[in-house]
Amino acid sequence: MYRAAASRRPLLLAAVAVAAVLAVTGCDGGAIGADTPVSSGQSFVSHSYESTFYQAGHRPLAPIVSGLTVAGKHLSLAAYRGDTIVLNFWGSWCAPCRAEAPALGQLARQLESRGVRFVGVDIRDEPDSALAFMQQFNVDYPSISDPSDEIALEFRNTVPPADIPTTLVIDRDGRIADRIFGASSYSELLSVIDQVIGRQA
Amino acid sequence: MTSTESAAARATGRTTTTAADELSATDELTAAEAPGEVATVTTDRGQATGLGPLGWLRWGWRQLTSMRTALILLFLLALASVPGSVLPQQGIDPAAVTQYYQSHPALAPILNRLSLFNVFAAPWFAAIYLLLFTSLAGCVLPRTVRLVGSARQQPPRAPTNLARLPESASYVTAVSPATALERSAGLLRGRRFRISEGEGWVSAEKGYLREAGNLLFHVALLALLFSVGLGGIFGYKANRLLIVGQGFADTPTALDVFRPGRLVGPGDLAPFSINLHGFTARYVTSGPQFDQPLFYDANLSYQAQPGAPVRHYQLEVNHPLVVDGVSVYLIGHGYAPIFKVTDGTGRVRWDGPVAFIPVDQTTLTSEGVIKVPDAKPGQLGFAGVFLPSAVDEGGRLESAFPEALNPRVSLVGFTGNLGMNSGQAQSVYQLDTTGLKELPMKPRPLAAGQSIKLPDGLGTVSYLGYQQWISLAITYDPGQLPALASAMAALAGLILSFLVRRRRVFVRAIAAADGSTRVTLGGLARSDAAGGFETEFATLAGLLRTELATGGVTTPEGEPGIVAAARSVAGADDAAARTGSAADDCAGVSNTASTMDESPRASTAGGSGGSSPLASTEGE
Repeated sequence: MYRAAASRRPLLLAAVAVAAVLAVTGCDGGAIGADTPVSSGQSFVSHSYESTFYQAGHRPLAPIVSGLTVAGKHLSLAAYRGDTIVLNFWGSWCAPCRAEAPALGQLARQLESRGVRFVGVDIRDEPDSALAFMQQFNVDYPSISDPSDEIALEFRNTVPPADIPTTLVIDRDGRIADRIFGASSYSELLSVIDQVIGRQA
Repeated sequence: MTSTESAAARATGRTTTTAADELSATDELTAAEAPGEVATVTTDRGQATGLGPLGWLRWGWRQLTSMRTALILLFLLALASVPGSVLPQQGIDPAAVTQYYQSHPALAPILNRLSLFNVFAAPWFAAIYLLLFTSLAGCVLPRTVRLVGSARQQPPRAPTNLARLPESASYVTAVSPATALERSAGLLRGRRFRISEGEGWVSAEKGYLREAGNLLFHVALLALLFSVGLGGIFGYKANRLLIVGQGFADTPTALDVFRPGRLVGPGDLAPFSINLHGFTARYVTSGPQFDQPLFYDANLSYQAQPGAPVRHYQLEVNHPLVVDGVSVYLIGHGYAPIFKVTDGTGRVRWDGPVAFIPVDQTTLTSEGVIKVPDAKPGQLGFAGVFLPSAVDEGGRLESAFPEALNPRVSLVGFTGNLGMNSGQAQSVYQLDTTGLKELPMKPRPLAAGQSIKLPDGLGTVSYLGYQQWISLAITYDPGQLPALASAMAALAGLILSFLVRRRRVFVRAIAAADGSTRVTLGGLARSDAAGGFETEFATLAGLLRTELATGGVTTPEGEPGIVAAARSVAGADDAAARTGSAADDCAGVSNTASTMDESPRASTAGGSGGSSPLASTEGE
């Protein structure tokens, strides 16, 4: 918070007038939202697919997260050191996640031989429901259960997930090479992974 | 024409030497605001022809920075925010906007083109706001310079005829003119007057705080606008529903509604996490206040950041938890019945609480849905009603009280396509029944532990009990404190500028022919604020009298060696023309009478030529 404010102070000074305009947009109808705290619920508006590629040298180091999987086993990203990791934040209640799940399950099986490991982070979910989801969409790779958003929080200083689903592609050096907001198709995700693996030589 | 007059006042304002001129110069600030001022541009240069391009620019600037324009803009700003509360807004409730598009297919695109679904980000809204800001800045900044100049100004030369001033008093004293002036200056300086001195006169001014107050008010106003802006840029607001026994972290994916400021990224949120351990709500159980809430109390633990010590907190309404500058408010609560859904294959597909949303705040009758998209052989969906205190109202169950005294759940089941696998995001609180078929189920209200076996071998649903949830509003507004501070400063400035008067006091001393010294004291308040100057002047006059009497100047009889006289009395003694002509237009007649009242003995003595004994005892 304060860190962010401090680092942006020059920007603020540079744009005093503009600041004033933006101000109003920020202080708008808070009351409306506050009155109906739950009316929109988990209204994660499905953004259209949005991929951001980070050039080598500009890739934030991914935190080595760990936790209990949906199936109840301990899992740490440290186990996949040296591999390319596709980290997918999902929930069984999230419709866009359901749409992309078959493609992810398929890619996970296909790319294992190329050193690509898939790991899920199951957000705000109920374990039975999550297991049913994985079974339904043939998702064989493990998912860390994250009911209290601790895993998501670990990424706050790197490339935090801001949408569900969010997919991070972590290169062999453990650095985040690509971030995808929204559901990705089989070909979209494959080309992103290819780009990450290809540039690593 | 008033404009030329004000121009004249402006021209002389800086070099005025008489108090009367200063009076009109005082009005300069207000005169400059007058719309007619525009014509100054031409009269200044003596041109009868139209304004040049520069003239028009100046004219435009004056118009923009006039108080009238600022007020109009302020009103426009209020007016422009109206559509924001009448029409659904994209940033607040996108679903409502979509709905509006569907119900008004012709009108919606036009409204959208006018940015009416995003009013606070609309260019025309920005235009109003920017103009207002410019107008205020353009008004305040030059004024600041003027006020600073005015605050540093030295008191002007004393007017020749002090008796013409609204307040005046005169004395005859035995001390020399120089001593009299010196003592006057000392007295006034002691009363924190600003002093300037000249040949035979002392002039003093006080009340510069008025200018400071004025300045403070204007600067604080700008600071207030700026602070509000600060919150909009670096602040954020979010909402989160939290069921007892669950926790969350302040990160975008965990928030139900997240409205960041313009420069707030997903990683900029305060990294605290909260776990909810319990929630208690108490209600009035009898009397006219029946079923009104008494208190809400959420028992939670929090961590300021991962790895930080875990602290406990009792969260109550209007008693927010503040972590790292972020406030977390308790703004709502409700029930989350616990369900267990087993599908046709015998596998448990859901086992946990589902938040139901109150549809009736007084009885907390709540509605919610359960979606089981991965049930086999078919997807299952349920729409339910939760009654915290179910009572039979003529064959119909209703909730009679918000507390869960007799909780019951009734469910309607559906199977078919929930519409979730297409990827279209949907609310977890709504069931889209377009692809669903209602199951033939008896609408039997369930008590905790009861189940319904679904037809066609689709499975079983059980109601196991209930949990409570709270909703939290998370707000971070770095502009809040500065806004409060500047609002208070503005108020203080306003009060100062209303209460403090600028007032001037002049003293002249001349040696009279009989060897005594004639001292005249004159005073004037420069602003027409609430009275009080008369009293102050009277006090000053009294003090000056004492001051001029001390220093070994005593009469042989032991009387004070000074005679104070009201102007009217002194005037009769001195120069009849001076008072005679001015008596009518001077407002100070009654005030001088009060000065007289304070020293009735002295004034009579002065009037009857009691100055001669003083002169004879002049011992310095």
